[in-house]
Amino acid sequence: MTYFLQLLVSGVVVGSIYALAALGFVLIYKASRVINFAHGQYIAVGAFTAYALAVFLNMSVWLAGLIALLTTALLGFLTERVFLKPMVGQPIISVIMVTIGLASVIDGLVHLTPFGAGNFSFPAFLPEGGIALGGISVSYPQLLAVGFTALFLLLFGWFFQKSTLGIAMRAVADDQMAAMSLGVSVEKVFALAWAAAGLTAAASGLVVGAISGLNLSALTAIGLKVFPAVILGGLDSIAGAVVGGIIIGVLENLAAGYLDPFVPGGGTRDVFPFVVLLLVLWFKPYGLFGTEEIERV
Amino acid sequence: MRYPWAQTGNYRTSYRQDTTIFATYWEQLSLWVLIAALLVLPRFLERSQMAVVDLIVIYAIAVLGLNITTGYAGLINIGQAAFMGVGAYTAALVAPYLPFWLTLPVGGLVAAVAGVIVGIPSLRIKHLYLAIATLAFQLIFEWIVGHSPALEQGGAIAMPRVTFLGYAVGFRNHHFFWYYVALVVLVLLAFAFRNLLRTRYGRALVAVRDNDRAADAMGMDPGRTKLFAFGLGAFYAGVAGALFAYWSRAVVIEDYMLSTSIELLAMAIVGGLGTFVGSFLGPAFLVLLDINVETLSEWIKSFGITPAGIDVASGLRPLVFGLVIVLFLIFEPRGLANWWRLLRSYFKNWPFKY
Repeated sequence: MTYFLQLLVSGVVVGSIYALAALGFVLIYKASRVINFAHGQYIAVGAFTAYALAVFLNMSVWLAGLIALLTTALLGFLTERVFLKPMVGQPIISVIMVTIGLASVIDGLVHLTPFGAGNFSFPAFLPEGGIALGGISVSYPQLLAVGFTALFLLLFGWFFQKSTLGIAMRAVADDQMAAMSLGVSVEKVFALAWAAAGLTAAASGLVVGAISGLNLSALTAIGLKVFPAVILGGLDSIAGAVVGGIIIGVLENLAAGYLDPFVPGGGTRDVFPFVVLLLVLWFKPYGLFGTEEIERV
Repeated sequence: MRYPWAQTGNYRTSYRQDTTIFATYWEQLSLWVLIAALLVLPRFLERSQMAVVDLIVIYAIAVLGLNITTGYAGLINIGQAAFMGVGAYTAALVAPYLPFWLTLPVGGLVAAVAGVIVGIPSLRIKHLYLAIATLAFQLIFEWIVGHSPALEQGGAIAMPRVTFLGYAVGFRNHHFFWYYVALVVLVLLAFAFRNLLRTRYGRALVAVRDNDRAADAMGMDPGRTKLFAFGLGAFYAGVAGALFAYWSRAVVIEDYMLSTSIELLAMAIVGGLGTFVGSFLGPAFLVLLDINVETLSEWIKSFGITPAGIDVASGLRPLVFGLVIVLFLIFEPRGLANWWRLLRSYFKNWPFKY
């Protein structure tokens, strides 16, 4: 039982990282119907920016993290302006391919810095150890992950319910034409969605960096794990992103805990989410909270 | 027509003429000239250059298949390399027992079966969701191979040397021999592709891409057409994968990963998605580009100005690759095939502007 609970708890922690990443992913999809294959690269950019500031400029990790969040948000904003704007009205495959190309470009640029290969870790900024409750232990970085997710959720919840821009974003997600004719700047909303996505991506990068260290391929791999999370939750649902992320994290951890001994080589956690993804596409393509697309000829 | 070789325009008077493979005699003649040129090409190239040409021909086969699935039927497929892998591993498993000219179609057929199975979600979902489904297949394929003791857990499985008509293919003539095999396969499959587009099955592909509901209303079966597109595209990939296995003398999982799938998609897009010539121009362009970028990064490294710990090649290659994709999509979404079309019409109309 303790084993199960421990798996569950660390699953929730991993899941909240996926949830953070999925949040940005869904924001972009909701606003502009674009799937961003470069999300994993954003996560890496955010994490490495914070690392570079903290180590090379001797900043405190908190300040470096804050600057990294803003830098990545700016990167998201610029991406939309430079690469996605010319793609409006193009077929979906072109839009997907632009983000894939962008991912490749960022990969190449990171490889031209000292961060391309190898493992790095943030200077310690949290106290050692953690909380233990009845045999289940949670370290401080793991608590930070859950706290970050909760914080961002509250932030976005407030933003979408109360602020003018948030309401404008919801309007655009709902009906672009109608929003436009009521004077909402769709352009601004698209750019804002990308900036917010960059922000959440950097946040998940920081959390991963604090928990398990920085490695380019491990960070970009999170960009792929986002897919099972968002498909399970529903591509255009913010609540779904969080629920889906946490469910995928828990399932993946349980699979690793209980299935690994039966599989030669182990490592079920790498594939289980994608099996779940295929099953979801098979039985409930629009996920738990997604809007079903109804087509008429 | 009195002088068919001096046509100044299209004078088609029947549907039969409209659907011929070759619209003019010039087209037919230039094709034969091209094939003859390709047949004598090895005379002028060295062994290392042949290896590059082989690679282009093999990728062209896979990209032809991708163009059936993604270009003509509009089903986004981010798993073409996995289908290549299915073909390659099948070939590796049956190669000790069968001659190579049988392992190629067997690899293709097994990949086609995999293609139909992977295509099943396309009956319910499309566009983005389908892209994600094929992505999941790609990752699951990588994982399964990586964890199968029977497949060396993704490590190298050596391909046996082949003999053809009592003639052993060895180190010296390896790339030349496989060039001719791949070329024959490419020509056969390209003709099949071209002919397919003239049949009702080929036109059904395009109809389903443009609007599957309308195609349904017009009496086509979109479900069957989609599965057919997936199966056929995977068949091409499987044959290409089997060829790739023989060409590289071993099957390793690294050759059939997500990055290869993305490369194949990029080739199809740079060449011109849903075009016939694009399936050849795209692979040629990207393979040659990659080699030149590698040479360039060696050249940059020779100055010794790059700090230690930075590998110029592993940075420059994805950077240039990504830039090429993005720039093509923004400035020339119709790909190299469009440049080819413009060039042709320039010569056709010369000395007039249009």
